[in-house]
Amino acid sequence: METTKAREVVQITLQVNGEAHTVEVEPRMLLADVIRHKLGLTGTHVGCEQGVCGACTVLVDGEPQRSCLMFAVQAQGHDITTIEGVTPESGLSPLQAAFQKHHGLQCGFCTPAMILTSEALLRKHPNPDEAQVREALSGNLCRCTGYQFIVDSVLDAAAQASKKEGQ
Amino acid sequence: MADIASRPQFTGSRVTRLEDARLVSGQGRYLDDVEFPGMLEVAFVRSNRPAAKILKIDVEAARKLPGVKAVWTHEDCPLGIKNAGFDCTQWVLAKDEVRYVGEPVVAIAAESRYVAEDAADLVQIQYEALPPVLDVRTALKESTRQVHEGKSNVFFHRERKTDGFDEAFAAAEHRLSETFIFHRQTGAAMENRAFAAVTDPFTGRLTCYCGHQSPHELRSELCEMLDLPENMVRVVVPEVGGAFGIKASMYPEYLVVAWMALKLRRPVKWISDRQESFLADVHARDGVHDVEVAFNSDGTIVALKDHMMADGGAYTAVPFCGAIGETVTAASVLTGPYKIPHQATVIDCTYSNKTPLGAYRGVWGPIASFIQEGVVDRVARYLKMDPAEVRRVNMLSDEDFPYRNPSKMVYDKGSYLQSMEDALRLIGYEDFRKRQAELRKQGRYIGIGISVFVEPTASASSEAGSVGYEACTVRVEPNGTVTAALGLGPTGQGHETTMAQLIADQLGVDVTDVVVLHGDTDSAPFGGGTGGSRSGTIGGGAAITAGREMRQKLIKLAAHALEASEEDIELCDGKAYVTGVPAKSMTIRELAQLAYTNVKGLPPGMQPGLEVVARYLPPFRVSFSNGTHIAAVEVHTDTGKIDVIDYAVVNDCGNLINPTIVEGQIHGGVAQGIGEAFLEELRYDRDGQLVTTSMQDYLLPASVEVPRMKIEHIQTPSAAEGGFKGMGEGSLIAAPAALIGAVSDALEPFGVMVNAMPVTPAQVLAWVDQAETSA
Repeated sequence: METTKAREVVQITLQVNGEAHTVEVEPRMLLADVIRHKLGLTGTHVGCEQGVCGACTVLVDGEPQRSCLMFAVQAQGHDITTIEGVTPESGLSPLQAAFQKHHGLQCGFCTPAMILTSEALLRKHPNPDEAQVREALSGNLCRCTGYQFIVDSVLDAAAQASKKEGQ
Repeated sequence: MADIASRPQFTGSRVTRLEDARLVSGQGRYLDDVEFPGMLEVAFVRSNRPAAKILKIDVEAARKLPGVKAVWTHEDCPLGIKNAGFDCTQWVLAKDEVRYVGEPVVAIAAESRYVAEDAADLVQIQYEALPPVLDVRTALKESTRQVHEGKSNVFFHRERKTDGFDEAFAAAEHRLSETFIFHRQTGAAMENRAFAAVTDPFTGRLTCYCGHQSPHELRSELCEMLDLPENMVRVVVPEVGGAFGIKASMYPEYLVVAWMALKLRRPVKWISDRQESFLADVHARDGVHDVEVAFNSDGTIVALKDHMMADGGAYTAVPFCGAIGETVTAASVLTGPYKIPHQATVIDCTYSNKTPLGAYRGVWGPIASFIQEGVVDRVARYLKMDPAEVRRVNMLSDEDFPYRNPSKMVYDKGSYLQSMEDALRLIGYEDFRKRQAELRKQGRYIGIGISVFVEPTASASSEAGSVGYEACTVRVEPNGTVTAALGLGPTGQGHETTMAQLIADQLGVDVTDVVVLHGDTDSAPFGGGTGGSRSGTIGGGAAITAGREMRQKLIKLAAHALEASEEDIELCDGKAYVTGVPAKSMTIRELAQLAYTNVKGLPPGMQPGLEVVARYLPPFRVSFSNGTHIAAVEVHTDTGKIDVIDYAVVNDCGNLINPTIVEGQIHGGVAQGIGEAFLEELRYDRDGQLVTTSMQDYLLPASVEVPRMKIEHIQTPSAAEGGFKGMGEGSLIAAPAALIGAVSDALEPFGVMVNAMPVTPAQVLAWVDQAETSA
């Protein structure tokens, strides 16, 4: 028979969207749960908790990571960016606007993670071709759109950015 | 007075979605974002046996765990779910016996989900195993154990045959037979199922939050099963992360959570995890079909026979029993777009020790389409005819409409042959055949599959319930903006945009001035919800009807205020003006202020305020959308991998409200078709354990597996308001048959004709090995 122990709680400081947040968590708490339920940043969605669907993707030091496969205590000392962190104070980011323009979302559940993954892609490869976009998004599942309009959104955001660059 | 405000500005246009801004910025509120102070979270202990007597449940250790508020078994929550059509109740927490892996047995409410799951681990259940019943053919045998003791395993049996079937079948020049097999699948929406309930402290009413396709249907079911009056229950559907049919059902967890909120007097929430989702969301398909076809040497098919068997799982789901949908509806359109005069069907739906069958997008469709197209492809191969040519020989033509099929279903006008010819052109059929022949010489195997589909839409009954109409309220607010509410249950389809397009055109206002509410039984008029591809047609009809009534009211008001006759008033650009005298006008805002505040300025007999509610019932039982999908694949005979290399769709869903949204629906349906044809299978092992309970085992199509699609539209209007037909399911109805047909075509040199889905790489390799061994 297992014995019941008092649950251990530790204090950690997380750097999320450029702000430091000090929270008390159990060491076993997932980063996704802390972001959502302790910090109230509910744009990060939990779809499988098995590391497969990609809906909980956040950027850790700029790289897309699944926040359901990471304990919050492991995220100390890293820069975390969630969808709230890439949304401008007013209006939409170029990628967000492209998703709206090209109907790159339906139910919207996978969308914040799609946008974050695309952000990371475009920072590394500002002019990706379709195959690169599809490869980059292959770890983010979407059940509604069949991906075509998502791919169009990312390609268009890249094209608009390079047009702006050229001006 | 024109039929709409002016020329339609928004209906038929590619309007960008009004719901998107909040969704792309992570501001959508889904069910797990519903939180109240003091909220408890629930975890379930589920059966890990497919069939067993419950001998003992020990919950003491779980009850003692700090943070646990309640540990419930059947005695604490003796509620049941019963489909009125069948003699079978599922207790929301199993009583005495479990009948599938995943069936809820114990419910635990605790201060957090983490604690609830800790407690779930401490529950001990002692079982005595029973022999599980795991497939439909076994369930049909007299000697098999009864899943529900004292009741036949066959819970539905029906036989139908057209007059003269036997003679026609016997007289035909040729006959072929085949068994078609459809494995289990499920909707697998990205957001898992969930439910929250809270008693309103001011009124004592129960408020339930649930990602559901039919808010009013859910309220009715909750009230009936909890024995509460409907004015004491409010259902709120927040943002829903996809549904696809699985969120049209009543589930045991919902009743447990609602009962806990009432009994524990605390807000309570349950969120399914993904493993629970695979175990306990309704499953779909799981059918075996023994098919025979009779035909003549010119390719004419004269008679089709099908023994349709569906494994319904342990209980008959509410409100929609999937086994009935997958068979009875398939039987009603089994001949698809082909003029096959004779049909005979025998239907058997059986119980098993598997998860109950409910709805998944295109219920019946992938099954009937695969049979109908599979039969045509077999006839073509047998007669050495081009598969497209056999389709032409049998296809309905323009003079056949309205067409009554052998199941007495009446098809309204469509564009069957034209859609196929257009799709053949779009994919470059003749060139493909040449390329196919060349590549075969190099040992590469590409193939093409044609699927000409019928899609019965907007019918009176669907998985969303059996309300044949839809309702809409339209209110012009005192400042001239418009608020509408419908009883629909959108889960990503964009109703806030499409319904606003229709209403804006009626009122001559900008689409962004129309806010569409849905999903709250306190604000929405009673309606049927979303399912069976009914929202655009029936909901759209309600939006147009309510919008038109409001327009008439505004015109009457404007005519009175502007001292003109009603015939001369036009609504456009947010204004009412007198035709030919643009200077003589009032804005909608001015009219609204008049209507709400200047009671003496109103026309005689007109009530103050601007609010209407209208209901719309289409003038038909069903309207048929149609179209053609053509898939091209390459099958790699060394690895078994299948690549979709090209895909063409010609779709006819009547008049389009928003072509971009329609195309998005098609893309998504084709992707799900790729899953259905090649990836998705809920596999039970021989002991009755479901072994595909993660997304690593139950594979969904990813961005690299879904090709770019070419889409064209044909618009054959229906008789409904606006000329719309439904279209939410046609792409999943059509796609699997096209994809599987393409594999059969690619592997013709190996003598392969596919009869089961999904087709996996291992299956491909087995076929290739077999062909090489026998050669």
